[in-house]
Order: sequence, then structure tokens, then C-alpha cells
Amino acid sequence: MSDSLFIEIGTAQQQKYGEDCYGDTIYSKKIPDERRIISILSDGLGSGVKANILSSMTTRMAMKFVESNMELAHSSDIIMDALPICQIRKISYATFSVVDTELDGKTRVFEMDNPPFMMIRNGRPVNVRCRAISSEKWKNRTINISQITNQEEDRLILISDGVSQAGIGNHKYPLGWQRQGCLDFVLEKIRKNPHVSAAELAQNIVGEALNKEVNRRAGDDISCVVLYFRKPRKLLVLSGPPFDESRDREYAELVSDYDGKTAICGGTTANIVERELCLKCVIDKTSIDPNIPMCSIMDGVDLVTEGILTLTDVYRMLKEGIDTDRNNGATRLARLLLDSDRIDFVVGTKINIAHQDPNLPMELEIRRNIIKNIIRILQEKYLKETSVRYI
Amino acid sequence: MNKIKIRICVGTSCFVMGSAQIQSLEFNAPADIADHIEIVEERCMGLCREIAVKHNHGPFVFVDDELIESATYEKVVAKIREKLKKIS
Repeated sequence: MSDSLFIEIGTAQQQKYGEDCYGDTIYSKKIPDERRIISILSDGLGSGVKANILSSMTTRMAMKFVESNMELAHSSDIIMDALPICQIRKISYATFSVVDTELDGKTRVFEMDNPPFMMIRNGRPVNVRCRAISSEKWKNRTINISQITNQEEDRLILISDGVSQAGIGNHKYPLGWQRQGCLDFVLEKIRKNPHVSAAELAQNIVGEALNKEVNRRAGDDISCVVLYFRKPRKLLVLSGPPFDESRDREYAELVSDYDGKTAICGGTTANIVERELCLKCVIDKTSIDPNIPMCSIMDGVDLVTEGILTLTDVYRMLKEGIDTDRNNGATRLARLLLDSDRIDFVVGTKINIAHQDPNLPMELEIRRNIIKNIIRILQEKYLKETSVRYI
Repeated sequence: MNKIKIRICVGTSCFVMGSAQIQSLEFNAPADIADHIEIVEERCMGLCREIAVKHNHGPFVFVDDELIESATYEKVVAKIREKLKKIS
């Protein structure tokens, strides 16, 4: 899979001012066996809890239909049947946009009532012709279907109407930001930074939409999904000394032979690589932190950190979100992990006798367990491709 | 006058035993010693492997060539002052 396209999905959301939860729902799923990724954005009518329930229902339903390859016209009919219509307003309760893409680039997009998706290739917007299907039962509902063959460096952007209507009521934007305004903003961002990540772009779009609003108070739920098709970014993480010392050399050479970024987690591990590859490794004093030991700088290695404490904190941050106010070994490693698409872990299994000392004041996790937890969350929550090898 | 070299182990076990506090010498050492010391942090020095056989507990700190076991901020500062006194 390493040579095929990789799809980075970045999302950002902002709930309507004064509401506790999002009225829009974003749901993405990877189906590894079929090399397929499905991403859905749904906007529930209204805002708050009611909208949240409606849009959640819609995304789950749509996911099931798309995932099981049901015939489109039929499944859209069922979704339309199932979506309730507001008694008073006579309009559907929730809109949706679905991107169903395979890793060789074949992509289909189905949309109902959301602002049309944007596709950007080589820094320019591409207009995709779409086919409209309207239901015999539901006269005023149409689903637009587009088919695209994606190539490297393409981006697909889905927005909710909270983005295109941002700023309504603000005298500078009487009709709101509009889709075109958003598109111009995106093109400018990409021109400045052609490799901007999906996550960053999604956050920028939502942030800019919020800037259009009076007092930065969202008048509707604002949501954005960016799918970025690109070559996978690879990362190798080495942690722990090999069980058998005679394999130190082989272990260290993994670093010099790897075709991607590399990170070393563990003081002894760093010492082994330093010794075997004759590299120089010095402590990086800019990473000082009362809770996490300092990083080091080694030529040819992107990051060198301490082991267990750092990994434990990385796991916490992957669960709770990365601390933005710190720049220690753990935040650096967490960012590096999230910036990568394919992460290969190589774990040395030698037990560190010093860590077994009962006088140590805090619980030191066992390396294998903490790495297992990190891998699980990277796969499930962040949809990363991972591998692990014990040595 | 040569500075006194303080080498602090910041390996995992020394770090949790308290070497993080000793590191603060780097930024707010007492005024009388601040100009006379140089702080060097080191990844695991490996001394913890010989706990009970050869050494007491960490954190391990070298003040020039002298090893301090179970080091604390106060112990290290006291040792530095002692050394400074000898030199002057």
C-alpha cells in the first residue's frame, strides 16, 4: 500500500454561538480490505442537540449504504425516505455530502443540499460535471453525483452552509462569505503553501469563516472536511534496546536505511544509534520542561527523545489533544506522528532493570504496552497506517 | 578561573527521582554560584544499572569528577559551594 495514493483527511468544526454541541456531523471511515475511504459531512436542520441527532443519524445511515455498495438510486431513495421532513417548513431535516474514494484514485461524490464540493488540482479549481438524480417520491430533492479520477496533490473540500453563509448580518458581507469567497481563500492558502496539510487547511477555513462573523460569533454550525491526495509521509520510530546486544548494529542501521523521517525514543536507544553509526548526539536545551526530559539533536534523525515518560505523555495527548503551549519532547513527537501517514515502529524488548526499582516514585509503563496503546489510537482515531516489529 | 562542570543525568529513572529540579540550576542558580558553573545534561549515564551493586539511588550528578548519588538541588548547591571555597 505504501506506493499508492494516500488520503489525508482534515476536519474542523465550530458550533453555533451559544450551543453546546455541533449541529453538523463529520464521519470518516477506512475500509482497509477494499482500500477505500468514505467521508461524510451532514448538516442537521437547526442547531444544537436536535440538529446533532439528525445529522448523526444521517451520517450513520449513509455510511452503511455506501459501505455496503448499495445501488445508488435505490439507497438514496431509502435515505430520503428515512430523513424526516419538518412539518412546518416542508424541507428535509438533514443534508449530506459523501466522498467515497478508492486508493487508486477513483472517487465518487454524492451531495444533497450542501454547498457543492470544491476540487482543486494544480492550484486551480476544477469544475466537475455532475449528474442529478431526483427521486420519484420526493420531487424537490435531488442528489448530485460526480465521478472523478483523483491524482496526486488533488484536494477535495466539503463545507457546510455555515461556511458559505458566514458573515450574513455583517454589513461587509451582506450575502455572507459565499462559496466563491471561500474558494478564493483556499486557492490563496495553497498558492502560499502548496503542501499545506488537510488538517491545517480545514482549521484555516473554519477560522476565516469565523472572522467574517460579527464578534466572531458563529451564526450557524460551521464545518469543513478537506481530503488531500498525496504520497504517504513515512515515519520510523525506534524505541528500546534490542533484546540481544549482538543485534544493536542491525537495529541502528534501520535508521540510516529508512526512506522517510525517523524518530528515536529512549536514552539508551539513542546511545546505541550514536555508537553504532558514529553520529554525534547533543542535548537540545530548548526543549526543557519540568515534566518531560529534554530532547537531543542527532544528525540524520528528525527527533530524539527520552523513552517511557515521553511516550506515556504522547499517548495522553493523542487521547486528549496536543498541548499547544508547550514545546517539549512529547509534543514534538505527537506532532510528528500526526504529520505522518505511515508509521513503522520498531521496539526493542530488553527490560530496563533500573525501571524495576521499587523506589521509583511513579508508575513506569511497560514499553510494549504503551506502544501498543499508541498504535491502536493512531489507527482508530487518526486512521494512520501502522506496523510494529519487535527486536 | 575555570567553571565547575555539573553533569546531570536526565535518563528516565533519574528524571522521575528528581533530576528535573536540579536542572533548574540552569536558569535560577543562587547568585554566588551562578557565574561559576556550567550545566550539562546527559542522556542515561548507565549508572542506574549498577544500583545495589555499586551505587546508591539516582539522580546521579557529577560535580566536576565527583559523583553525587541520590542528588538533590540542595546537595548539589552545597557541593558546588564547597568546591568554590577550596579554589578561592
